[in-house]
Amino acid sequence: MTNTMGTVAAGVERRTSAGYLPGRPGIWFFIIGDLLIFGVYFVCYMVYRGQNHGLFLESQQHLNQQIGVVNTIILLTSSLLVALGTEAARTENNRDAFRLFGAALAVGALFPLLKLSEWIPEISAGLTPGKNMFFMFYYVMTGLHLIHVVLGLAIIGYVVDDLRSPKPSIRFAETGAMYWHMVDVLWLVLFAVFYLMR
Amino acid sequence: MSGTVAIDARSAFRQKSRWYENKKLDQYLCFWSVPVFYNLFGIVFVPLSWMMPPRAPGNSIAGKIAFMQSPNLLVASTILVLALGLAAVGNAVYMSQMRRMSVNPAFHFAFLAGAIAGAIVGCLFPMFCFGLGAFRHGYRPDVLAMLYDFGYLSFIGCLGCFFLNWSCLALAILLDKNNVLPKWLGYYTVWQSVTELFAATVWIAHDGPFAWNGLLAFWFDMVIYVPWQIIVYVCIYQAIKRQPEHELPNCQPVPQAIYA
Repeated sequence: MTNTMGTVAAGVERRTSAGYLPGRPGIWFFIIGDLLIFGVYFVCYMVYRGQNHGLFLESQQHLNQQIGVVNTIILLTSSLLVALGTEAARTENNRDAFRLFGAALAVGALFPLLKLSEWIPEISAGLTPGKNMFFMFYYVMTGLHLIHVVLGLAIIGYVVDDLRSPKPSIRFAETGAMYWHMVDVLWLVLFAVFYLMR
Repeated sequence: MSGTVAIDARSAFRQKSRWYENKKLDQYLCFWSVPVFYNLFGIVFVPLSWMMPPRAPGNSIAGKIAFMQSPNLLVASTILVLALGLAAVGNAVYMSQMRRMSVNPAFHFAFLAGAIAGAIVGCLFPMFCFGLGAFRHGYRPDVLAMLYDFGYLSFIGCLGCFFLNWSCLALAILLDKNNVLPKWLGYYTVWQSVTELFAATVWIAHDGPFAWNGLLAFWFDMVIYVPWQIIVYVCIYQAIKRQPEHELPNCQPVPQAIYA
């Protein structure tokens, strides 16, 4: 006779023990590479900022910090929900995992909407990528990040769908969660560098 | 007796190793055209014509005219005219492996459409622009300057086509259940397709890191692209080697075939 709680406990123990690599192996290759690519962009930004400090400082004043703060809260909340959802999935509590990932998706979907509501007035006011180097960096990097967010929402959507099936894949949920956390970390650095740094 | 065995072994070896009987000969012919193509293009673009690394977008009119009417560009354009068709063969090599993947054929058709559009805009247009400067003299300086811009913007700014076809390849690799190509290559191909988006800035920036010869829009893209291009063809070669012969189209027996 199968001891379900024993099987779940054994599964949790295996997944929280040292040496267990969460998610599918390939996603680590992608996450580390992506962080390196963004890292190069951040370093280049800092170098060019150092060469054009006055221009970058003046241009920063035009950014909407309030929307930036709200977007940060959105991504942090969404990440928290994803982390809780992953824990629920690991303990095979699929109903809670489904709800938590679903909530993460709903909260995360606000990010692109707010980003567009930030960009459209800025572009209408003439703050286009061609205005100066700061705005080129700003639109390229936040644009690249936005593409990652949209992709992440699609991945979480697939995780939500998978959690409805009779035998959902815990590794797939972990993979989606890790990707989303990477997106969150990138935003934290972007927010600090573009919106806050003086 | 041992002499007979030795002769039989040698003839068996010769029979096995006839290269023209290799059932994958057609694929290998297409595959090996790729290094020929890239080496020719490497010679054309870099030492011969100085097309690569790209000349500055903010070059003076005199600088643009000197580039467009240089004898090196004449030789480079000649080689381009003759060798451009190999681009089709190189792209077909990708497609022959994509067809083996378990994904919908829409992926490899979209890949092909993107590759065709990209080859026309990214290779044929620059060939015409720089060829006009090299083969036809007497154009006004402002016309030559326009051809210079047209050529470079086509070459580096034709990102949409390549974004499509590398994205199709990446998605096909990641969703493929037959594991024709490794999954990490799919992730690397995602980065490659994203570098095409980085290149969008060349339409706006005339200098600095986002110009067509800039640190981020060109050089950093090359850091990602060049290793990827080598790696993807190594992986495709391995995939051709691994492909079971019974899967090859030319191994299917043709029922009641009549040969002249």
